[in-house]
Amino acid sequence: MTTKSPTTIAVGIGLKAEHMPDIIADDTALDFVEVHAENYMVSGGPALRQLTRVRDRFALSIHGVGLSIGGAAPLDQEHLDRLAALLQRFEPAWFSEHLAWSSHGGACYNDLLPLPYNPATLVHVCDQIDVVQERLGRRLLLENPSTYIEFATSSMDEGAFLAEVATRTGCGLLLDVNNAYISAVNHGRDPWDLIVALPPAAVGEIHLAGFAEDRDAVGDRLLIDTHGAPIAEAVWDFYRRTLRHLGSRPTLIERDQAIPPLAVLVAEAQRARSAWVDAAAWTEAAS
Amino acid sequence: MSTLEPIQVGLSNALLAPERPLPPGVITWNGSDPSVRFDVYRNNVVVSLTTALAEGFPVTRALVGERFFAAMARCFIADHLPSSPILSDYGDALPDFIAAFPPAQGLSYLPDLARLERARVQAYHAADAPALTAQDLACQLANPQRLSAARLALHPACIVLVSEHAIVSLWAAHQGQGRIEDVDLRRAESALVLRDGDAVLVLPLSLEIGHFLVALAAGAPLGEAAEIAAAAGPDVDLTQAIVLLIHYGGIAAWHTPGDL
Amino acid sequence: MTQSRAIQTTTAAALALALGTALTFGNTAIAGEGAAKEKCYGIALKGQNDCAAGPGTSCAGTSTVDYQGNAWKLVPAGTCEKTAAPTSPTGQGQLAAFKDV
Repeated sequence: MTTKSPTTIAVGIGLKAEHMPDIIADDTALDFVEVHAENYMVSGGPALRQLTRVRDRFALSIHGVGLSIGGAAPLDQEHLDRLAALLQRFEPAWFSEHLAWSSHGGACYNDLLPLPYNPATLVHVCDQIDVVQERLGRRLLLENPSTYIEFATSSMDEGAFLAEVATRTGCGLLLDVNNAYISAVNHGRDPWDLIVALPPAAVGEIHLAGFAEDRDAVGDRLLIDTHGAPIAEAVWDFYRRTLRHLGSRPTLIERDQAIPPLAVLVAEAQRARSAWVDAAAWTEAAS
Repeated sequence: MSTLEPIQVGLSNALLAPERPLPPGVITWNGSDPSVRFDVYRNNVVVSLTTALAEGFPVTRALVGERFFAAMARCFIADHLPSSPILSDYGDALPDFIAAFPPAQGLSYLPDLARLERARVQAYHAADAPALTAQDLACQLANPQRLSAARLALHPACIVLVSEHAIVSLWAAHQGQGRIEDVDLRRAESALVLRDGDAVLVLPLSLEIGHFLVALAAGAPLGEAAEIAAAAGPDVDLTQAIVLLIHYGGIAAWHTPGDL
Repeated sequence: MTQSRAIQTTTAAALALALGTALTFGNTAIAGEGAAKEKCYGIALKGQNDCAAGPGTSCAGTSTVDYQGNAWKLVPAGTCEKTAAPTSPTGQGQLAAFKDV
């Protein structure tokens, strides 16, 4: 192996309103922050002013949660217009959305729901992503979801589906390592199957988060993607293995519930930095 | 897409109704009941939307208690799923829903209290707009006879409320200003909700000024608004109303008929 | 007609006076009476912004289980119990029993 490993990894956190004053005031050791697009789709006021100040200090990632790319219906053009305006205003380094649907028949469920993976849904999702990338005039990173059920009509693995979407549309991928782990446990699979199926060059960002643990009707583990706890040790291990495979990727810590002080999240981001140092050393030793 | 539509219809129908069966074709790797796993999604929808409402209506929630609020929110969500993924817009319909919600009938002040809380969120996210200053308005004094016909556009972040109940005192009591026990709920109250820098302020108004500003906000000319205020009560201090508006940047535009 | 015109004239004069006073003594009025009134009611809440921002989105799920449609009789049981609720027959937050469906 002759590829020289990058010496650094960019780390960031999902920015919550609670941390806004601290992040603007402090000299935080973060390379980037990520915000949800929908939280800044407002007419005016402090939120947009604060995001401008954040944008002056950090690289910005804008993460959409409401586009419903996997929805049966055509994309909401009004929402696309709002997204376009937001991206034009803040010019983020990355824009990402989910392989999921969240609205149907004019109602928004505020949750990321799963879809079957087969050649027909692949064509539909690719068409939707073409519309998005054309309207926004930029590349989208598509995130793998955490899922709790599967479909009899699925004929493709999630990894193969995402790889094909990336190849056909030219979109990038946001690899949520926690989601990959959760879905693998929830469906009795090996999480590594997803990682190796993805074209490495397409993966533009990694997400890490914590989950909660439940049981299904027969008592098997059912992991729930709560973003409400520290990242599990098993996911850290899986992350290091993923880095050894992919190389350095901007990595984001997500916490949406039971939000701790900013310093706790920054420490988790620093741990991702250390994980990269470990992974890079391992790769050097192995080559 | 024909293959997605039926499954998404089926799942949508099952989301808010735990007793509804899942559409065919939902499976699990270990043969366990998929409906139990689908409960995670059902739960996500209700809990996330309930949390969103709770964050937008903290005093309403405190007044009725967490358990009642959650139950009321669940009824509301079933009738009013968000029509857009922008959650800061969610909750516009809650005050009217509360007014028609039988278990809340005993708390006649609750819908207006909820309107006050909704106004704060709306003011926070309202459009930015320049405000007229005292200097900008000085020229209006040159033609005093034209003042009555002038119409004011309030700043987008200014929302006026007039209630038959003491919602302003009740809200303030939940911010540590005064005791809940001391609030005379039968007292009609009015407030101007506005943005001051990054903060949202709730400024108590006399009822006369409240009615004056409601009329202005509805597009009535100054003269008509002043008469409405005079009809509302004896204590019409228009000077104070105008001072308040100018001080907090509440006047976005001043139109006098004949002006271009 | 005459009366209406009289009112209009009075209103115009009152408005001119109000605007004139406001423009002349505006800052004094706020520094004095306005501020005092504000302090009295005390509802200028700097630093309590978070609740004004309203809800934010999440792309996470939740482990709190609350989707169950259990029927129960809803009775508000919060700070409303501290108020003297004039519209209720008992003076408290006594409510119609309601079966949640």
